[in-house]
Amino acid sequence: MPVTKVLTDGIGEVDLRDMAVYRARGGYEQFTRALTSMTSLEVLEAADKSGLRGRGGAGFPTGKKWSFLPGDDKPRYLVCNCDEAEPGTFKDHMLLEETPHLVLEGILLGAYGIRSHHAFIYIRGEFKRGFEIFTRALADARSAGFVGKNLFGTGYDLEVTIHRGAGAYICGEETGLLNSLEGKRGEPRLKPPFPAIAGLYGMPTVVNNVETLAYLVPILKNGPEWFSAVGTERSKGYKIISISGHVQRPGNYEVPLGTPVRELIEIAGGLFPGRRLAAIQPGGGSSACIFEEHLDDPYDYESLAKAGSMLGSGAFLVLDDRTDFVQAAYNLVRFFAHESCGQCTPCREGGYWLEKVLHRFVEGRGLRSDIEMLHRVSGAITGLNLCALGDSIEPFLRSVLKRFPEQFEARILSESVAV
Amino acid sequence: MSTRQDAFPELSAKLTPQFLSLIAQYEEPRSALLPMIHLFQEHEGFVSPEAMRFAARMLDLTPAVVESTISFYTLFFRRSVGKYVLQVCRGLSCTVSGAEEIMNYFREKLEIGHLQTTEDGLFSYEEVECLAACDRPTCMQVNLEFFYSLTPAIIDEMIAGIRAGTFSVAPMAQTEKPGRTWTVRQDDEVSMGKKTAGATGVSNPNNAGGLGDASGLIMLDRFVNNEIAMRARTNERLVQDAATVAHVVGEHDHARN
Repeated sequence: MPVTKVLTDGIGEVDLRDMAVYRARGGYEQFTRALTSMTSLEVLEAADKSGLRGRGGAGFPTGKKWSFLPGDDKPRYLVCNCDEAEPGTFKDHMLLEETPHLVLEGILLGAYGIRSHHAFIYIRGEFKRGFEIFTRALADARSAGFVGKNLFGTGYDLEVTIHRGAGAYICGEETGLLNSLEGKRGEPRLKPPFPAIAGLYGMPTVVNNVETLAYLVPILKNGPEWFSAVGTERSKGYKIISISGHVQRPGNYEVPLGTPVRELIEIAGGLFPGRRLAAIQPGGGSSACIFEEHLDDPYDYESLAKAGSMLGSGAFLVLDDRTDFVQAAYNLVRFFAHESCGQCTPCREGGYWLEKVLHRFVEGRGLRSDIEMLHRVSGAITGLNLCALGDSIEPFLRSVLKRFPEQFEARILSESVAV
Repeated sequence: MSTRQDAFPELSAKLTPQFLSLIAQYEEPRSALLPMIHLFQEHEGFVSPEAMRFAARMLDLTPAVVESTISFYTLFFRRSVGKYVLQVCRGLSCTVSGAEEIMNYFREKLEIGHLQTTEDGLFSYEEVECLAACDRPTCMQVNLEFFYSLTPAIIDEMIAGIRAGTFSVAPMAQTEKPGRTWTVRQDDEVSMGKKTAGATGVSNPNNAGGLGDASGLIMLDRFVNNEIAMRARTNERLVQDAATVAHVVGEHDHARN
């Protein structure tokens, strides 16, 4: 079984919230070493060479994202995105609560890697406990001299500010997050300019996911080659997969990218006895389903894209043969309709009307013309919005509508009654 | 009896040092808006009009901008809520693992529905989006503390504990008597489970809609950037219009002659 313990090492065994425990296991050594014996550029190069890609959803190469920052001396910011809310994802929640110092060390390394003197962590409003744990961790790290002015006498200043959200999925979108961090409505911005050019307070900014930043610590410790030696050609390293749904042992499992889909189900204890696999949503609420013909596909960015889906945030939802796909599609569409910020018409209205039509099906009052309408409306949303939320409404719906049309047809009101 | 409004000046004065240290953490004061409102809500149990006006003054914003911003976020209650806010996850991972039965159990047990508060002001109930604890379905939060793998027995114990005052989670502050619901929508819409698109089409039930100053700024930028070009275009059009008018008038005059 390919379950590995890198970021998850020690979780559930020791109390990593205690800074002494974290330090006894080599904690903060990488940040200390980077600051005292490496240049920022060397940290960036290590991130780049490791092949690390964004673990929050988009999968963009981290080193490349950093290298888009202009070379000038304007203030620049690192923002750690801990607004985890993609349906089915629960890895950042775990990292924040269980190993806050690792998260913090990742943030410090990232900030140093882009020559930032002020980093932020945006914590989802619901993670009140995580917020308290991280606040404590930051205070401990500050007293130990890892955060503040003139760190280790190098003259390098680095401040970290914790910012708590207040309930809005869209604030996980990086420009929505930046607006929220500026005290505004969390509405995504028009791009370009991208945050690397004009982000927080109009300054160059990098927004990275919690897991992405945390991986910087083992990458610096073991070298970029250690990370890039694992995984597939273009999907390097490890990833925490949040496995949920119809499996016997749901949970967060850290595995090398490229692990076959079938093995992921086995790692999570397999299906319940007597049940058959119906579908897997492999990359969070925004992703299309894959099916039994994909069981031997490697779980990586490219293979999932080829299968018509995506790896996203690594939320792996297993659905067996008792799943009501009409209800499931309604559930996810309702989510996106609820979380739409309302700026772009296709997303705001498309989600709203899909939800309305699907609700008819849920109640067994679908019309024959509704099936065509679902296809038509869902085909008129993606690609027409400021951010990716709009593009996330239809993939699950369309994939199950195509695969399980009989479930939808069974909810159509019989013609005679419809009149 | 002193009311919440009477106590507000004292509260805001007490919190001001904290507000100032929050503001000092950011490059721009407005960034402190959400943390300030969190603090006010912690003390008042909801975001009062006084709190919004106070924050606006302190951050040099208009009260309308503050209200518009606050209305975007579902964790900010703009009406008083119950002492215990029960938020049950309705995400897909929980739903395929029996969340519907748990939600039904809550609704029957408390005799209230989604977004409603019990008559005695003790419980508010909401069905919320994925809470990021999908490995232990069905999950929920009680005043933002997590509870996992819910069963009817756990719920019975929770509700009995809250009623008896022995529950492990502290109650929310309650400075005003809550109404039937805390959203800005009408009761009947909420009880019917309807979510309307609202003024800006946003179906978020806590959200009455509001103008995003982000999109406003984008438009402003565009106007500023394009000002000269636009003026030129406008002038051009005016000249054309004048020519057209002259032409039409000329034709008209010509025809009349």
